[in-house]
Amino acid sequence: MMSSPILRTANGIIFPLTLLFAFYMALKGHNFPGGGFIGGLIAAVALMLFRMSHGRDAMTRLMPIHPRVIVAAGLAIATLTGLFPMIYGPFFSVEQEAMPMLRSFAPYVNLGVGEPVHMPSALFFDLGVLLVVIGVSVGMIVRLGEEIAPDEEEVAQA
Amino acid sequence: MVMIAVFAPVTLGLATLWLPREWIERRMAVAVAGPALAFVLLLSIAVGASDHLGAGKDAHHGDTATAFGSEHLTTGTLNWMPSLNINFAFLTDGLGLFFALLVSGVGVCIFLYARGYFGREGPTSADDLYRFYPTIGFFTTAMLGVVLADYTILTLLFWEMTSISSFLLIGWDRYDKKAVKLAMQAFFTTGLGGMGLFGGVLVFGNATGNIVEGGIWRWSQMLEHSEALQTALLNITNNPQLMWAFVLMFIGAGTKSAQFPFHYWLPGAMAAPTPVSAFLHSATMVKAGVFLVGRLFPVFAALPLFPQLIIPFGAATMLYGGVVALQQHDLKRIFAYTTVSQLGLLMAMYGLGAIDFEFVKDGKTLTAAAIDFDVTQIANHAFYKAPLFIAAGAIGHVLSRDITQLNGAFYKHKAICGTMMAAALGLAAVPGTISFQAKELFLYAVMHAAKVSPWLWIVMGMTIITAVCNVAICVRVWTTLLGLKGGMSEADAPEAHHDHHHEHPHEHGLLANLIWFPGAAIVSLQFLGGLFPGAFWGPIFGGFEQTAATGNYFYKGVPNLWYILTHAFESLPFWISMFCLVAGFFVGRSRLGRGAVKDFADHIYPVMYWLSVTGGGRCFRVVQTGNLKHYLLFVLGAMLLGFGWAVQLDISNGGGMLDAVSIEAARFFEYWPGILIGFIACLTAVLIPTTDSRIVRVVFLGATGFAVVALYLVYQAPDLALTQLMFEIISVILFVIVLRLLPKEKRGRDAGKLWRVPIAVAVGLAFGWMTLVAASNNRGNGAFADDGVTPLVEPSNPHAEPLGVTLAQHSYGLKTDEFGNTKLETAMSEGPDGVSERGGGGTNIVNVILVDFRGFDTLGEICVLGLAAMGVWSMLPHRRRKSDPKREVETDYPQDAIEPPLDDLGQGVTA
Repeated sequence: MMSSPILRTANGIIFPLTLLFAFYMALKGHNFPGGGFIGGLIAAVALMLFRMSHGRDAMTRLMPIHPRVIVAAGLAIATLTGLFPMIYGPFFSVEQEAMPMLRSFAPYVNLGVGEPVHMPSALFFDLGVLLVVIGVSVGMIVRLGEEIAPDEEEVAQA
Repeated sequence: MVMIAVFAPVTLGLATLWLPREWIERRMAVAVAGPALAFVLLLSIAVGASDHLGAGKDAHHGDTATAFGSEHLTTGTLNWMPSLNINFAFLTDGLGLFFALLVSGVGVCIFLYARGYFGREGPTSADDLYRFYPTIGFFTTAMLGVVLADYTILTLLFWEMTSISSFLLIGWDRYDKKAVKLAMQAFFTTGLGGMGLFGGVLVFGNATGNIVEGGIWRWSQMLEHSEALQTALLNITNNPQLMWAFVLMFIGAGTKSAQFPFHYWLPGAMAAPTPVSAFLHSATMVKAGVFLVGRLFPVFAALPLFPQLIIPFGAATMLYGGVVALQQHDLKRIFAYTTVSQLGLLMAMYGLGAIDFEFVKDGKTLTAAAIDFDVTQIANHAFYKAPLFIAAGAIGHVLSRDITQLNGAFYKHKAICGTMMAAALGLAAVPGTISFQAKELFLYAVMHAAKVSPWLWIVMGMTIITAVCNVAICVRVWTTLLGLKGGMSEADAPEAHHDHHHEHPHEHGLLANLIWFPGAAIVSLQFLGGLFPGAFWGPIFGGFEQTAATGNYFYKGVPNLWYILTHAFESLPFWISMFCLVAGFFVGRSRLGRGAVKDFADHIYPVMYWLSVTGGGRCFRVVQTGNLKHYLLFVLGAMLLGFGWAVQLDISNGGGMLDAVSIEAARFFEYWPGILIGFIACLTAVLIPTTDSRIVRVVFLGATGFAVVALYLVYQAPDLALTQLMFEIISVILFVIVLRLLPKEKRGRDAGKLWRVPIAVAVGLAFGWMTLVAASNNRGNGAFADDGVTPLVEPSNPHAEPLGVTLAQHSYGLKTDEFGNTKLETAMSEGPDGVSERGGGGTNIVNVILVDFRGFDTLGEICVLGLAAMGVWSMLPHRRRKSDPKREVETDYPQDAIEPPLDDLGQGVTA
């Protein structure tokens, strides 16, 4: 694909910042604009830009695992967050009563440093969404991109 | 505890996957622990509950029902979907517990036998066992679930799981196309019955709303209200739904239990490895249908249709299976057809039980149901049929499964053949086996019922013929294996093909005995029970009997051999039994029915399959044109129709939708930035169809999207704007990539289709209308008369809030005070003292909706996203794979397994 030096250089600065911003968005989402879905999309756009500017091999080096692993991990995190109250409710909670799936908690967790952090259970669910969105978008784009981009290996062989 | 028992087999079965493949003995030990644990747990429950169960033993069958569904027998409730009446709860009454003990007990033997069957040194032994234990564990759990589940839908769920596991096990040899076809046949047939059961359960639940609030969705409830239900069933003309519920459930039971004419799948299922045949297709799974009928029996026996439907089907199955079984050569097919026959007998037994007859005892005239010791009948079959299969598989391993090849086999393999011969005695119902007593009881039932309704003498005749066939089979097995005169030999099968398929080397060592020992262990119960019914059989199985009622007039408990012999001269059934034994002996020695016949029912499934595939294909091509424009037209047209209907309904009801929408629409012009950006969005959208170039269209589409982003921004919705922005970027990139993959565009083809314009405009207007309705919610918000209090539009629902306000209230803790103003609830503000925000614990309403209020939707959506991505990855396989020849070999899987199976399906089964 196209590979302009300007894009590549600029992306060196933009790429980490965008990823950081995506992560910030995902974390901040519960009380301020943002959320896992948006964060995932932002990160996906950043990764796509990286793929455009640096090419396929650099992308493979950056993400050595297949995107489906990310999708699976995201789905697993989201599902486990959903299942957590069902196990926590009847067996570990003070009330000892059944809780519905995906029931949310909003505890303030003391990390030992600074003020207690507002850490709703939806945060983990959101992180799952983030991973799924990243995995799906990057996976689809990279895969479809391979169809039109001249395969580097085949070019090298020819 | 029941929960642990039910799920132990699958859990431990799956746990064996973590063991290395070579650990065959340790794998077996872990897997066997599953059913063994279930057996022990269930046994402890049975011992604990035996007092309660014993209480209902002497009562008439009408009263017996109350002794079952008692509350304390239902255990292990775990809420799943309470609102849909689907929960995990288990009913440990006599019938369920008996079946569960049968499943887990036979399961232990089969798990051990599998080790002997698959062997140790065979080329695929380790691999087979690696796959076998998880699958059979899954089946064991499913079967335990079927017989123990309390909720009707839960039963159905486990029921389908048994079908699936049966499918997996019949098609065990994945590369054998015939086995795969037969697996499909069994799956479709039992799946059809599963649909029937599903319908029956739903109809039953809905039809019983007048008896229990919300309908009956639990078996224990059904048994509790048996009297009310029986009253309703006797006046069936007033409750036709109950009759259909029964008919549908019987379709489920009949297909699962291989009733004629749906029995064809069971002989076909013999393509499975023998442990599977012995377990699923003789001892347990096929009895699920019998179990279901037994479950329904205490209540539905009051239905006049019950005997009318079940007896003919059961008797026909019994006769057909018996006659065909005699004329087979493959041992597994012989025993499969006797299984079919026996299942018919069990069904007929329950059917006869619905007929009450009168008898005189101690000078008093009493009535009783023509059924006695149903559990004994069921157990008896399992205890001779499973050993027969075990021995058949074993002899097939070392010699052949074709009976014509087995002349004199006893002298080579004494243990295996001895097991088979002992079990064959059970098949023939020779005195000394519990089978003899069971047949005797069945003949009594037929006789008593026939005295009430003379037509049933026909059933008596059918029973005699079946019994003669069974005895003849037993005689042929004995004479052949012992090499006596009159045994089967190669001369009986001139066209036979000599199949030496799984010719395994004969294994030595202690564990090699596992190929016959489990069978011998099971069959020993036959003789223990037959010889000592009072001391052994009665105390163990008596507690489970659902219908031990008539024991009062006949004999206390299962009759003693001595009792039958000494009372022989006054009882017709005894003479019938003796006649069958003698006649069977001569038929077995004769030349009658020595050739192998084909079962005409083997053609039912292929023909039905062919009809549905060709007919369905024709319908499919009419409905599915494959043209995206047609689909879109249908979808949008249907939406417009629905929308028009809703608007029309509102106007005719005098609703304020029209006014509310016009007011909201007028408010749109109050904010100029919105209008400008909206204009840009519309303009770019209109420009899309004016160009011919796909890329330009995509650019215009993107421009529309970006205009919408700006629209969100000026209306202060940063979340939506951000999402839309990112989404537009990604979708434009995706579009461009996909468009480059498309073939070159043909210009000018789509021009001039003006009829699409009005549809587009109408759809746009409809969506705009809907948005405005959602925003206004019929309140006429903000549009007040001059006094500022009276709303201009009278709200159709005064309590309705606009959608946004409702959501915000739940998210932020916004509160509507007594003056109707909304404001933030300050007491609910966040802080580290534990007081959190209302609702979702966040203040970003969009996000809280996504992850909390509609969290389940989001979970579903990300699953869909993952599926879509999987679709891309699987439909566009990785390019590198093409240059890798190894991959090509791996995917060489029988792709055409679904082709119409019109060849001689069912014959020459291999396993």
